[in-house]
Amino acid sequence: METRREDVGIVIRSAFLKRGTQQRFSLFALTILSIVLIFLETLEFKPLNNIRSFVKDIVYRGALIATYPLKSFSSFYQFMENHINLYSNYKELITENKELKNNISKSDFLELENSQLRKLIDEQAVSSSDLVSARVMLDKQSPYLNSFVINIGSNKNIKNGMAVLDGKNFIGRTVDVNFFSSRVLLVSDLNSKIPVLSEPSGNHAILSGHGTSEPTLEYLSENHTIQDGDKVYTSGKGGIFTPGIAVGKVKIDKKKIKVLLFSDLSQITFVNINLGALNK
Amino acid sequence: MNLSFKQFRYKFFELLPLLLLFFISLNGSSIINVKFFSINIHYILVYYWILRKPENLGYGFIFLSGIISDVVLGLPLGINALSLLMVAGVAAYVRVVTVRITLVNDWISFIPALLFANFVYFISLYYSNYSLDYLYLLKNSIFTLIFYPVLWGLFTLILNLTKS
Repeated sequence: METRREDVGIVIRSAFLKRGTQQRFSLFALTILSIVLIFLETLEFKPLNNIRSFVKDIVYRGALIATYPLKSFSSFYQFMENHINLYSNYKELITENKELKNNISKSDFLELENSQLRKLIDEQAVSSSDLVSARVMLDKQSPYLNSFVINIGSNKNIKNGMAVLDGKNFIGRTVDVNFFSSRVLLVSDLNSKIPVLSEPSGNHAILSGHGTSEPTLEYLSENHTIQDGDKVYTSGKGGIFTPGIAVGKVKIDKKKIKVLLFSDLSQITFVNINLGALNK
Repeated sequence: MNLSFKQFRYKFFELLPLLLLFFISLNGSSIINVKFFSINIHYILVYYWILRKPENLGYGFIFLSGIISDVVLGLPLGINALSLLMVAGVAAYVRVVTVRITLVNDWISFIPALLFANFVYFISLYYSNYSLDYLYLLKNSIFTLIFYPVLWGLFTLILNLTKS
């Protein structure tokens, strides 16, 4: 039997335009509305931004409540796991503590020397007065976007592009600031590109995320001298981030220059936002 | 008393797809990642219920759930909503043209639904200047398709509970 064009038209009309049983909206109308929303996302108007911020703040609060049971379960699981691994963790900490004690005198000297050198070149350093603390509200890692939501926004002078730290280590930047919440784009995300500097080799590079926990160094000069174990810091190029914030340690794997981050991105509860460079 | 419990059970199973839809979007768990498997349960849920019992899952709710997903996952507003509506659209079309309901029919017709939804996803993210892991998107689509019969069985069980 031949399918006539009119039949297909009738079927499409019936599926997309008609409101079925107990359907308040037609699929066609909602599809158009979605396209309009996507288009509106590209526009930057203050009233529009305010509406977006308001909607996002409400959804984040709702999501916070909805994720509570799962979060409680996973924190209980983590608590039990920590108890089970208590002895091995204790042994590890003892060896780590010994190593750290040996390094303290060395690092004190380096810190002093570093601050003197910074004064000489009149460079900004991260000062604790520039930092604002925040709590991670939602850390749902999308496969397409490695980010999380924190509980402060424009109410605490947060702006887009500010450096976010875990302790003193760089982990990402703010990308979507609402009234009472902001989204932090992590360094591991595909869309993250951060100007960095390696030490002691002194090479400038761009730290690019790939959606995994190990970002890589790109745009290095051909005759770079980066070696395994070199430390990576923000370079401050472009004037967005304060220079000298620790990011991670270099690990060369099959000619790829990976960076092992100092912070475990999956275990972050509190963060510091560096208001420094962008607020001046 | 017995009757009211039955009514409650009936109402609960009738509302279950809707509750699941919002639970998934508010939790940001539309994609389940287990080792190298990654399954989009949001697509399967919408496709199945629009195909089998659309009165339990309104298009408006699907749209709203997509918007919530976009906010929670940090994507531009409307992307997930549009791709979910594409899945719903294909399901609605298939519902109109098919008479017999079988797993194989549903499974095969799920392929164009996935293709449309991912195409919309890809195009919208591309024009919103978001980098995307294409290999991951492909892997996710393949595993979503492979995993469809498992959720089909589970949802059929729920559907039968609302009938009995």
